[in-house]
Amino acid sequence: MSADEGALRRVLPPERVDDFLGACDDYGWLILVASTVLAGTLPLAGLEAGFYMTFVTDLFLFGILALSWDLVGGQTGYPSFGNMAFFGIGAYTTAILVKDFSVGFPVAFVVAGGLAVAFAAFIGVIVFRLRGHYFAIATLGVLLAAQQVSRNLEITGGASGKILLDTPSAEAFYYLFLGVLVAEIALVYYLSGTRFGFVLNAIRDDEQKATAMGFNTTYYKTAAWMLAALFTGLAGAAWSLDNTFVDPQTAYNGAWNVELIAMALLGGSGTVAGPVLGAFGLHSVIVVVDTYATGWQLVLLGTAVIVTVVAFPKGVVGTLREYAAEMAYYERGGMAAANDGGDDPDEDSSPAGGEAG
Amino acid sequence: MSDDVDAAAVDPAGDRAVLRTDGVTKRFGGLTAVDDVDVRVEEGEIIGLIGPNGAGKSTLFNCITGRLDADEGSVSLLGEDVTDWPEYKIARAGLGRMFQETRVFGDMTVRKNLLVAAQEGGARVGRLLGRPDSALQARTDELLAYVDLDGLADVRAGRLSFGQQKLIEFAMALMAEPEVLLMDEPAGGINPSMLENLIEYIRTANEDEQATIFLIEHNMDFVMEIADRIYVLAHGERIAEGPPASIQNDQRVLDAYLGRE
Repeated sequence: MSADEGALRRVLPPERVDDFLGACDDYGWLILVASTVLAGTLPLAGLEAGFYMTFVTDLFLFGILALSWDLVGGQTGYPSFGNMAFFGIGAYTTAILVKDFSVGFPVAFVVAGGLAVAFAAFIGVIVFRLRGHYFAIATLGVLLAAQQVSRNLEITGGASGKILLDTPSAEAFYYLFLGVLVAEIALVYYLSGTRFGFVLNAIRDDEQKATAMGFNTTYYKTAAWMLAALFTGLAGAAWSLDNTFVDPQTAYNGAWNVELIAMALLGGSGTVAGPVLGAFGLHSVIVVVDTYATGWQLVLLGTAVIVTVVAFPKGVVGTLREYAAEMAYYERGGMAAANDGGDDPDEDSSPAGGEAG
Repeated sequence: MSDDVDAAAVDPAGDRAVLRTDGVTKRFGGLTAVDDVDVRVEEGEIIGLIGPNGAGKSTLFNCITGRLDADEGSVSLLGEDVTDWPEYKIARAGLGRMFQETRVFGDMTVRKNLLVAAQEGGARVGRLLGRPDSALQARTDELLAYVDLDGLADVRAGRLSFGQQKLIEFAMALMAEPEVLLMDEPAGGINPSMLENLIEYIRTANEDEQATIFLIEHNMDFVMEIADRIYVLAHGERIAEGPPASIQNDQRVLDAYLGRE
């Protein structure tokens, strides 16, 4: 325990943080509704189509992607490097349906989500036989394969992709991304308090034990993966038209896939608020750096990531939770009950965060 | 341990065995880890399984729970042949298991560890997507109070000491209300004062919760005190079976433990 931490403890006592996080939990739904209303009124209050609206819309987009990643990567403990495959499938589905088949965007949007889910179900059966690094590599393979397929097919427009005209307004996409994000947060927040959510966390912490307790873990993992694919696919479906252009390189963007993992980890993997806040924070940094420090963006971005990881090893939300709860074990009679002569409480440092926040 | 299970009704022949293995054999390459082992565990019994290190005890457990597929022989649980069932299905049919090393879900709170362990409702979607009901919460509180850890319900399970984690794992096992509970060295790493509690807990699980118990143990005093009958394995083979008193004086058992063959 360093001197800095002593100072931190005086300025920001753990009990305070605990009270704050407890209030966030108690008023979770209220906070979600209030944030939604606030975000919903921004365009009415003068946020016009242009740089700033695109910026906020992108925050929503990355919030969706990071939270989807975390559903499997953080809550269930299966780090996927292939989530952008669902995004690409969603993006190409709407592009093809709207442009080549003159299907209305709402219908194409729903079909895109459905296709992403179906693809996830199919792939899930295969990749969930693997764990850890092997799972990560396999999912990366899925992403690269999907990218290659769309590069070579005629219907996807090959390497040059598709240009989309007559797309809905920027305001429409602002509200669409906001709606999808809010729906996803609400769903993940709700699930984190159900037995389904508990089983996902149990799989993350000890899958063998979960199996021995009677859970067919493949079923749960695939269900979570399909849910992640749904929201990622819907995000892709909206993105292609909003972007007015879709090609293999951007629709199946491996760099984005890494970014959204960083977002989830920095914000607090395994929590509800963490990945969303991480997405907001990291994307803001990226945009600021891109705008004002062109040429230095990777250096500054890398520095921001390193500083955050050192200061918040479990992500911002996860580390705050840990900090707030660190004395709880002793205060609640931990050592009094520890009349077993056992070892000290472990200080395990698994990357996944704590409870839902 | 639901009341509707009547072992006598399970098997028309009047076999009261809730768990039995017939000729179970498991080989790893050239090594026969478990060799033609028959075990019968009757309803309400506490059965011990002892043997020197490497005797095949844990492997036998793994064959019973479905973690490993036996090469030969069969396993039946509550009168049903479960030999080829997947592990999760056997667990759901009423077989609980505690591992040798403590296995709790470290990043989840103690309360969630217990809530997730409840088997009630299985995978039915309604139950799965519902929040844990008050009955389940009450049961959680009751079990945590029982193992004296009620103050720690909202602490991350990974923070707890080894002994406390062991108790949590025990409470989790009871939460699932198993018909048969396999315990792999429950007394391992437990200090003497807590050992008394553990014996009490296991007896309660057996009598009040009506769980039949099959346990591996190295602590001889412990197993002799608690077990109704004991099976002894050595080099994968079952070399003795009987009540503690006869096992203690069995020459083959003494030889196996002292390394005389």
